[in-house]
Amino acid sequence: MPEKVTISVADDAVDRIDEVVAALESGGLQVDQVLRPLGVITGSADTRHVQALGGVAGVASVEPQRTFRLPPPDSDVQ
Amino acid sequence: MDLSADQLAAARADRRLLSVEPEGVRHAVGGSLSEEYLRGFRDAAQFLHAQVAGAVAPAQFGDTDKRTWGLQATGVADSPETGAGITVAVLDTGLDLEHPDFAGRDIETRSFVEGETAQDAQGHGTHVTGTACGALAPGGGRRYGIAHEARILAGKVLGDDGSGTDADILAGMSWAISAGARVISMSLGADVREVSAAYETAGRRALAAGTLVVAAAGNNARRGAGDAGFVGVPANSPSIMAVAAVDGALAIADFSAASSPVEGGQVDIAGPGVDVYSSWPEPDGTNTISGTSMATPHVAGIAALWSQRTGATGQELWAQLVQAAQRLPLPANDVGSGLVRAPGA
Repeated sequence: MPEKVTISVADDAVDRIDEVVAALESGGLQVDQVLRPLGVITGSADTRHVQALGGVAGVASVEPQRTFRLPPPDSDVQ
Repeated sequence: MDLSADQLAAARADRRLLSVEPEGVRHAVGGSLSEEYLRGFRDAAQFLHAQVAGAVAPAQFGDTDKRTWGLQATGVADSPETGAGITVAVLDTGLDLEHPDFAGRDIETRSFVEGETAQDAQGHGTHVTGTACGALAPGGGRRYGIAHEARILAGKVLGDDGSGTDADILAGMSWAISAGARVISMSLGADVREVSAAYETAGRRALAAGTLVVAAAGNNARRGAGDAGFVGVPANSPSIMAVAAVDGALAIADFSAASSPVEGGQVDIAGPGVDVYSSWPEPDGTNTISGTSMATPHVAGIAALWSQRTGATGQELWAQLVQAAQRLPLPANDVGSGLVRAPGA
């Protein structure tokens, strides 16, 4: 089952982020965005591949994507 | 009235008193005492009596017809800075681009929400942008905007339904850094205790690029019920400044989340966040609401003023904000270094 993930690239690998992206793609990541100023990559991968993505060289962390939600606009506390 | 040196110093340091002066000779020459003299005498006596009685009445700010209480309490009205030359990014539900208070401003917009434009249909984004960057003299009445000459980046990362994903928010941060934002204001968060590596990475690289990220501490406290809550994602990232909310009496807001023990989980600074009046999509035009969401753009706007004055960016700008904050008689656990303070005249 595909799962949305956020991947942080390690400090020492930011300069070669394209190589990290290629390695992640080989590992089963469907890349959505490469956010170069942040050194962060977003995308999705099948659940059975997600854990292995953390072992790709240059990857500092793999997190499941969260959703944020504001309270309704008519609530007193925002 | 005879005051000891300590009592005098305490009375002088109390911001609620207009002034404490030596009595001089005014009452010795004339028979009648001036109204002003008596009022000063009364205020000083009341203050000292309350101190002895152990019940100091709190400071109380309120909106006037000229400006909001938050702009008064943070010294914005006395600051000559305008935010000119500084870019402020607000990542939220977008901005009402038809709002007259933003007419003629240098605004760049981008939507990161699929199928939606940057136009704000929810209201939250227009409100927080109004506080950070609204007009000096809005059409509708009192001033609520801080960096009124700043360039605005309005990034829509939360949809019309008020929800957004990490991917949208991080893409917005990335855009804001590339577009030269000196400050990124994020009035959003999730009630998650664990620090997110992605936001910490983003905040750290933003600081290195000269962009300060400020985020709402969160509204998960119910202090009246004994629950002080905790700072959530992304404000709990060590490299992202977490903003608590205080009210017009400079007391911690009931909902304002306290520091959590995780690394980076501390509250860093506080801003006005109760009964905050600001812009709202037409036809209403304005709205008064509360939240750490409302405190956050006060810090972002004031950060722009500091950056304009000193040229500081990133970590140095962070240090200036924390250093200049007005210390409050409240736990640092709740308000960090205190109430954000604009550069004085």
